[in-house]
Amino acid sequence: MLKKSIWFTILTVSLLGLILFSIGFYQAINVTIASSPQSSTNSPLPQTPGESTKLPSKRVNSFQVLILGDSIAKGTGDEKGKGFSGYLPESFKNDTSKEILVNNAGIDGLESLGLLEQVQNRSLDKTITESDLILISIGGNDIKSLLSLNDLAKEDAFNTRQDSYLNTLRETLKILRTNSPNSLIIFLGLYNPYEKANSIENTRLLNTWNYNTQQLVEEDGKGIFIPTYDLLKFNLARYIARDGLHPNSAGYQALSNRISKSVETIIAGS
Amino acid sequence: MKLFNLIENEVIKMISKKRLLFVLAILIVLISVFAYGQNRTLERTKAQLAQRMGITATDDWRKLADQQLIEMKNRLDSPYMDEKRKSSLQVRKEQLQYDLDNNINPLEQSAAKFTTKFMEQSIFLFLPLLIIMLAADMVSGESTSGTIKLLLVRNVPRWKILLSKYLTLIILEVLVVCLAFVLSAIISGFFFGFGGWLAPVATGFKVLAGKLDSSSVFNVPQWQYSLMVYSLAFFVAIVVGSISLMISILVKSTAASIGIIMSTLVAGNFISYFLSDWKITRYMFMVNLRLTDYLAGSFQPVAGMNMLFSITVLLGWTIASLIVSFVYFTKQDILV
Repeated sequence: MLKKSIWFTILTVSLLGLILFSIGFYQAINVTIASSPQSSTNSPLPQTPGESTKLPSKRVNSFQVLILGDSIAKGTGDEKGKGFSGYLPESFKNDTSKEILVNNAGIDGLESLGLLEQVQNRSLDKTITESDLILISIGGNDIKSLLSLNDLAKEDAFNTRQDSYLNTLRETLKILRTNSPNSLIIFLGLYNPYEKANSIENTRLLNTWNYNTQQLVEEDGKGIFIPTYDLLKFNLARYIARDGLHPNSAGYQALSNRISKSVETIIAGS
Repeated sequence: MKLFNLIENEVIKMISKKRLLFVLAILIVLISVFAYGQNRTLERTKAQLAQRMGITATDDWRKLADQQLIEMKNRLDSPYMDEKRKSSLQVRKEQLQYDLDNNINPLEQSAAKFTTKFMEQSIFLFLPLLIIMLAADMVSGESTSGTIKLLLVRNVPRWKILLSKYLTLIILEVLVVCLAFVLSAIISGFFFGFGGWLAPVATGFKVLAGKLDSSSVFNVPQWQYSLMVYSLAFFVAIVVGSISLMISILVKSTAASIGIIMSTLVAGNFISYFLSDWKITRYMFMVNLRLTDYLAGSFQPVAGMNMLFSITVLLGWTIASLIVSFVYFTKQDILV
């Protein structure tokens, strides 16, 4: 009798399982082979145009700024939502009577390779050509992931990462220069937002990175590397946003001031 | 004698042989060990994170996630964003949004995640080994103990006997896969909590021109994802079961048949290393067992290999071994 009931339990369980697994199997095949219905609904994403991406031809009495790069270029972390697009014109106002127009093409999380793809993509060409000043912030996302490695692996990974980064950046700068021979290129250096990650080793790597970037940027006669490391080192509490990574409003303001101080003669002369 | 009674007879036989109990015991022990190990790893990761970046990453994860979410929204809205990357970003955004809405730290494990992961890791070796334990002995065991004579002298056609054995095997496979699911859901629940079945999981990866294409990924709830994983596991169980049954019929010795199929399986794990150079290896069943990798998009794209290909190859092996089994079993001379 016991054996009989065990047998019937097993039989029902197996039949139910069999049906369930058939459904699951069918779904699994559907998901991997047939095109998903969701993919079509995903595609028409809102195409909000960036701040004045398309401008009429270059106006004589305007000073055009193009901001390229990662989240810092974009202004992420600023609780007032302004970032460099907001503060740079304010800082430049005293130096020039021209109208200052800002194009911000910053993308959160962009790495150097992404930036290269972005400038290779012809859609930005016109904006680049018309720009009088190009501000670039890139590289932070390239090395962010290195922090999690141990010191031995870090050195190796750092070197490979840096090599590819420098090559990509060189390529990017070349394209920018070809399209816009006279613009001023400002490159923002990296800073260390992590209070806990300030070991000698980490600092040395960050400095190496910044130094090599500076060498590369300033090979160009109208390129300038502006360090941010020193400005933030003892001011993390004041200038870093709540996410512990990006500058906050005051941070962006301080960086904008520094940039405008470094280039005010050029802006006044243009 | 009706087929139904034959199957019942076979099932009772398998249960009284206590093989199923062994499988159960192995599952319980291994799942407990894995869950404990996962728990340890999780705690160590948390400790490392806390040490590296301050408390922020573990306790204040909401702040971090909020920021990430805003970043992702911005990236999605950016007109400069590559169209092809958008859908994978969209999927990540949905997952993070879910974690935030339900207050789940993305770092944390859940029983649902563990259960799925467990089968994803077992599908190519551990689960087949359990199935072999059951299948390899079904026919050769009767030869070894001599009971096959008693079975065959009865007034039942041989194909019916083999069919009943095969259907019994399928019943046992359902049981094993179900047991694996239930046990890992319950045991890991004690470590990580019983929830997580509604969390979104990304799937829908495709291989286009030898490259992993994530342009059509989308989220499905974890329970549905688990169901798909365990269904694929069941399919793999049927394939391995059929092949083991064939070998068990051909070899007649339980030890030898277990040995043969086990070494084949183990070899399959490193034969994929030669896969890129030696095209014929992709038609072997062992390298096609990792079906769940297609769901998770975690596979190394090899030109010409996709879900449809693997399933076709596995089906081919199953049908071929069934034909061989039935032909050989009905024709062979039993000399015991």
